[in-house]
Amino acid sequence: MAINGIHRIFSRFVKIKPSELKISILLFFYLFLVIAAYNVVKPIRNASLLEELGYELLPLVYLLTAVIIGFVVALHSRIQVKFSRYTLITVSILFFLISCFVFRIFSGLGWKGLPVIFWVWANIFIIVLNTQFWITVNDILNPREFKRLSGFFISGGILGGFMGGVLAGLLAKENVDYNLLFLSAGLLTLCALFVYLIFRWQKREHPVEAKAKKSEEDKGETTSKPGFRDSFNTVKKNKYLRLIAAIVVLTLVVSTLIDFQWNTVVKETIEGDLTSFFGYFNAGLMVFAFLLSILMTSNLFKRYGVRISLLLYPLVLMLCFSGIGIFASLIAAIIIKGSDKSLAYTINRSARELLFIPVSPELKYKAIVFIDMFVDRFSKGIGAVLLLVILSFGIKDYKELVRIVSLVSVVLIFGWIVLTLRASREYVNSVKQKLSRKWERADQVVEEELDLDYTKLIFDTLESKDRSPDLYAMYLFDLMKHGKLTPEIKQLLSDKPEKTAPPSFEAFFETDSTALIRMSDEYNNENVLNKEIKDIMSLDIYEDVMMKYIEKILSEKRNDAETDKMEVAKGIGFLSADSPMVNKLEEFLMDDSLEVRKLAIESMSKIRKREHVPALIQSLGDSWTQSDATMALEKYGAKITGILADYLGDPEEKVELRKAVAPILAHIGNQEAADFILSEMAKDKGEIDSELIDALDRIRSGAPEIEFSFETIKKKIRQEIMSYYELFVRFVDAESKGKEAEISGIMSHELKVSMMNIFKLLGLIYPHEDIVKAFQNIQTGTKDSVAYAVELLDNTLEKEIREAILPIVEDLSQEDRVKACVGLRKDFPEF
Amino acid sequence: MEIHAREKDNIVIFDIEGEIRRSDVTDVTLHQLVKDQLDVGKRNILLNFNDVEFIDSFGVGEILASYISTHNLGGKLKIAKISKKLYLVFQVTMLTKVLEIFDEEELALDSFMGD
Repeated sequence: MAINGIHRIFSRFVKIKPSELKISILLFFYLFLVIAAYNVVKPIRNASLLEELGYELLPLVYLLTAVIIGFVVALHSRIQVKFSRYTLITVSILFFLISCFVFRIFSGLGWKGLPVIFWVWANIFIIVLNTQFWITVNDILNPREFKRLSGFFISGGILGGFMGGVLAGLLAKENVDYNLLFLSAGLLTLCALFVYLIFRWQKREHPVEAKAKKSEEDKGETTSKPGFRDSFNTVKKNKYLRLIAAIVVLTLVVSTLIDFQWNTVVKETIEGDLTSFFGYFNAGLMVFAFLLSILMTSNLFKRYGVRISLLLYPLVLMLCFSGIGIFASLIAAIIIKGSDKSLAYTINRSARELLFIPVSPELKYKAIVFIDMFVDRFSKGIGAVLLLVILSFGIKDYKELVRIVSLVSVVLIFGWIVLTLRASREYVNSVKQKLSRKWERADQVVEEELDLDYTKLIFDTLESKDRSPDLYAMYLFDLMKHGKLTPEIKQLLSDKPEKTAPPSFEAFFETDSTALIRMSDEYNNENVLNKEIKDIMSLDIYEDVMMKYIEKILSEKRNDAETDKMEVAKGIGFLSADSPMVNKLEEFLMDDSLEVRKLAIESMSKIRKREHVPALIQSLGDSWTQSDATMALEKYGAKITGILADYLGDPEEKVELRKAVAPILAHIGNQEAADFILSEMAKDKGEIDSELIDALDRIRSGAPEIEFSFETIKKKIRQEIMSYYELFVRFVDAESKGKEAEISGIMSHELKVSMMNIFKLLGLIYPHEDIVKAFQNIQTGTKDSVAYAVELLDNTLEKEIREAILPIVEDLSQEDRVKACVGLRKDFPEF
Repeated sequence: MEIHAREKDNIVIFDIEGEIRRSDVTDVTLHQLVKDQLDVGKRNILLNFNDVEFIDSFGVGEILASYISTHNLGGKLKIAKISKKLYLVFQVTMLTKVLEIFDEEELALDSFMGD
């Protein structure tokens, strides 16, 4: 009840699901306490250094910090592969907590070097604990959760910064009050408690993932050589990580340049109480950043995706640089500094950490430590060097100086934008890599992996042994003709002696099958048998004799005529298309015996006479002969595309027949076939839509070069989504009213079909493989793989389609999904 | 190719030797020999292929022509002792459905008795 109440309050600001409330609050306070503890330490750091040693030592302290951070990265990299994440973080917090006491004790000794050590320690404090916080977030959240929740816990950090600063101000009794370290230690103790609660939550809620991460950590211990170089090499060798590192470098160099412009303009334009000005400015900035974080971050990700979210920061800064470059006024400086700090702490931090989420764990943790700890500090050093270079030109006018810095910054931002575009592409690729294809199209697998004709031939041959020696001989000839009468097949056939084998064939399959082998070898090699049979069948006299026999057989009404008819139906298949006997096949196709009809179809498929096509198409309407007729028609290939299309589009024809035509056109799979199917689909009759969509999907799977009308597909996607919404609302309604399980079972099946249709249609106009992966993972994946699949869709589909589809695939409660479906039905995005 | 005719129980038996092929046409064809027998009133013909080494489509044509001629006159033409290979050809071409073929001459002769 209490949780529901809290959730209701939170859900007004942030899209937190009830199940995520606890972890979101825990992460919120984790970051809150880290930043609060640091902001208590920070004034002591600044005051002790300035009071006791003065500004002059600042550059040296910066340099020392950068060098020592390098060692910290090395040490952290080594430790992190030896201990669990929880132990590492707890020990780190404990280390900084104990250090607070140690510094308090040493502060009373009046040692001159203490402020420098304290400065470096304070910087390591925030870098290590902040990086560990983001590693924890990476461990726990998938991209979808991160996008929704990061704004919330970042606002916790901002609030922590504000609270820490206020507390330090209120509680400080003297200029440099080391007693505040007790407050910081207290906050760190609370922080350790929250870390414990977070890892306990993870163990309870996601035992499998927690175990997997533990095993990844164990694996890391045995396979890598940890250290600074290892972390550096990890980033160096990976294109995506290099891009992230490069973006971080440019971001921080630009930020350093902004800081310089800000300080310069403030110093030149404000007279009097600078402390008060900075105080008001920072307080205002905190409030702005807090609101930005809690209200905008999640929505920005949701509405505009990763790319725009990443680009927002450099684009805003570019505008600001233009402003300050032209005016060089205090207002311009406030705007650029305010934009920089508020965006850097909020949207940019979220976007930057989001980029790490799809990276594989063995790379990710080394990379985060290296980039967030080392590159972060190193980049500020580069910024400082760049400034020194600019200052070396001896420009006296501050406005001129600000303009030149703006110009340099704009050039850097261009590079930053290019890298951001590339990184966002690579981000999508990384998301794709997290998804595996779970299965292939069954018909494609069968087609690629199996020789269906051959398999059928083997089985039919075996069956024919019991049926009739003549039929058996014909099948053997078929096998010989296709070079398939291999020793293995001979062995297989001889394993089962035929009941009615004629004398001539007995010898073939005796233990010593040399006779057959000799014969088949002779026939296979010289094609003699084929030629002989062809010659005989082309004789006029043969035609006369056999025609009479066929007519006689066709008129037979006796029950035992079935085998005779089967033999003839099969035998006609060896004739040439111009033989008049071939025309008799249609009569066999009307025989009462299924076996006769099937053999007639088989013969038609061998002869491939265009005149037989209508009869074969009609056989598609009979479920007993449908699969044989399908195989036969598929063998005709593209030359019957037109006639198939006629049947497909003929509303007078049986629906079952039309449904069966679609996959044959898909098998033909050329542009013409695709166009016919598409134009049929565009008629919006609905009754064979699933078959048409499946046929198009099959064409797309086999021939990516085939083009589909974007507009027609989009229109169909729209219809399918609308029908999904409607079906879903009805389904939930039926379930809630306790309607019969059968009804909801049917609806559930219809929903699945509808969802499949939507994705098949999407696959026609978007990268097919990506859409298939997304669909399969949404259907059968784990919570995380579903999230990655949705993230892939989020980054692949255009905005309007995305807005219509995501609510039906996102991990939502049934209630929320119904709401979304009802809402979208009324206000469907135009596309 | 050599063809020798003999008679047993009013059945004319043609013992064929060698190869029946287009390139090895003799003065008198098998069909002609059968027709001669039909002309003298014989209606039961047995072709003995025991010593036939090879037969091509021309040979099959001869057999079929003989079969038609015999059949049209209400007679019977049967075949005995054809090779496995030829039997396979006959099976594939469905000729086994039209022509009566026997493993042994005796069996063939007996079958005439039953007709």
